[in-house]
Amino acid sequence: MADVQLAEVKKIYPGGFTAIHGVSFVVPDGGFCVLVGPSGCGKSTLLRMIAGLETITSGDIRIGERVVNQLEPTERDIAMVFQNYALYPHMSVYDNMAYGLRNLKTPKSEIESRVAEAAQILELDTALLSRKPRQLSGGQRQRVAMGRAIVRKPKVFLFDEPLSNLDAKLRVQMRIEIRRLQRRLQTTTIYVTHDQVEAMTLADMLVVLNAGRTEQIGAPLELYERPATLFVAGFLGSPPMNFLKGTLESPATVRLDDGTAIACEGAYAAVPRGARVVAGVRPERAIVRPLGEGLAKGLAKGLAMKVDLIEELGVGRLVHGQLAGAPMTVAIGPDQQLPASETIGISIPADAVHLFDAESRKRL
Amino acid sequence: MEKRAVFSHKFLPYLLLAPQLAITIVFFYLPASQALRQSFFIEDAFGTTSNFVGLENYRYVFADPSYYKAIVTTAIFAAAVTICSLSFALLLAVMADREIKGATAYRTLLVWPYAVAPAIAGVLFIFLFQPSLGMLARGLTALGIDWNPLLDGKQALLLVIVAATWKQISYNFLFFLAGLQAIPKSLIEAAAIDGARPWRRFFTIIFPLLSPTTFFLVAVNIVYVFFDTFGIIDAVTGGGPAQATQTLVYKVYNDGRLGGDLGGSAAQSVILMLIVVALTSIQFRFVDRRVNY
Repeated sequence: MADVQLAEVKKIYPGGFTAIHGVSFVVPDGGFCVLVGPSGCGKSTLLRMIAGLETITSGDIRIGERVVNQLEPTERDIAMVFQNYALYPHMSVYDNMAYGLRNLKTPKSEIESRVAEAAQILELDTALLSRKPRQLSGGQRQRVAMGRAIVRKPKVFLFDEPLSNLDAKLRVQMRIEIRRLQRRLQTTTIYVTHDQVEAMTLADMLVVLNAGRTEQIGAPLELYERPATLFVAGFLGSPPMNFLKGTLESPATVRLDDGTAIACEGAYAAVPRGARVVAGVRPERAIVRPLGEGLAKGLAKGLAMKVDLIEELGVGRLVHGQLAGAPMTVAIGPDQQLPASETIGISIPADAVHLFDAESRKRL
Repeated sequence: MEKRAVFSHKFLPYLLLAPQLAITIVFFYLPASQALRQSFFIEDAFGTTSNFVGLENYRYVFADPSYYKAIVTTAIFAAAVTICSLSFALLLAVMADREIKGATAYRTLLVWPYAVAPAIAGVLFIFLFQPSLGMLARGLTALGIDWNPLLDGKQALLLVIVAATWKQISYNFLFFLAGLQAIPKSLIEAAAIDGARPWRRFFTIIFPLLSPTTFFLVAVNIVYVFFDTFGIIDAVTGGGPAQATQTLVYKVYNDGRLGGDLGGSAAQSVILMLIVVALTSIQFRFVDRRVNY
């Protein structure tokens, strides 16, 4: 058991390309940290640096009390689950799991009991233990890969997009199992994914990375409700947040580019009038109303949205179209009626509006 | 799903196979059956008459002590060349597989010896090791070693082993390098994280995963030593001194071409063919069972 601390960790490749621009965060002991970001953002590189598979250009990585910068992966007391599982194809499932323990010269009887324990935790049939990896299904391979990680009882688990090779259904199931397993074992975990649903559901602590920099660090819900940057706002949430460009007319009003006004709520008194802003609205917070009705009910004025596509999800519907010259998506419940007209009225509650500086792309 | 071409034309498949079959028949089955036929006959020195003698040629071959000597020489030669060339090639391939500067140039250079004809390789080694002129031979003499492969049978055998090994390393290197590059990097990384140090990683992960390549190369190298080293032996030692470097294939040539004993030579080639067929089939059967992951 140990925490993991990163202090100003940088990675510059010999060619001069900077993959990681000074990242710092602390994963508390027993915490579940998810590194999330689009492909190429450096999340896997960062994980591999923690594992010791990539060198660190500058900064410090600490596992527990030890600075591990110069240590070989062998000496870091970590376990890693790879995207392609990286099971040893010539070894049986049992040998795959026992390999790490054998390297530590663990007594045979203890290896047996630990492998049996891991198999039981992961609900791996004992009949599978004598099979070779190629005889297993994708889900079983995934379990073996996790088994190989947990038998050694390492200080830290590292997961590198472990679910991306599974089909959608199995992915959801394994996601839940990973979370249960981590709760049960209480081992500090760092998990890399590009899937924001996985990130939101698994993390205690979310680190959003973009182009080698941290955009925001915090609890998933905190990031969802108060995204610090436009990037985080657009990255978390599915369907993503809608962005409407405009200028701040008063601390409580944004004038959109097509001339319509929407109300906003927040500490915007210090922001200069006429500042260029981007108003972010989550699809599920926009409300469909008959045109013009919003004002009467004390909500923001009904805005005209031109509908061009409706996606039926079963649990609800996604209405796609144009609002104030920008693409807009509104999520509505399954029972909610939708006017048959091509243009529908939308109102946006003032507390649903996130304002970002159009220049710095930071939250106002 | 496997795709299968279906030919509606009855003769088309045979027509398509014909070039390959023709080559095999002309260059293998005809000479092989000719050798088999000839092994039952004795011809006079001028090749004008031939008498059927049944298994007499075989009986003669197996009664000849120098034939057993050639078997022993071939076995030592084959084992030494196969082991040495495979180990050196593997070592070089492991080095070349690392990410180093100029790796491409390094690899290309390592492949060159394969393009050298065996007889030329032999001549190169004569230049290096000829007792009075050879550069390396002089070095050996300067070190106080009594170097004279022209007289010393053991040294002569050593010399052809070195030459044959040198010639074969490139070929083995290419296959080992391809084999190493086919091993997913994540497996090695997983083993590193699992606490295995480089040596242990090599012996528990890399080497077992290379086993299909290794078995294939063992088979190819043994066939190489049996047949293709003829040029090297002929150029370097001519089978001497005192038949110390006379391998089975060289004895076939020596007895048949130089000794004029076509029947005995044919009998030897039939035996040689059977040995190689047997070795290869044993190996591939073994490969099928062992290398399965």
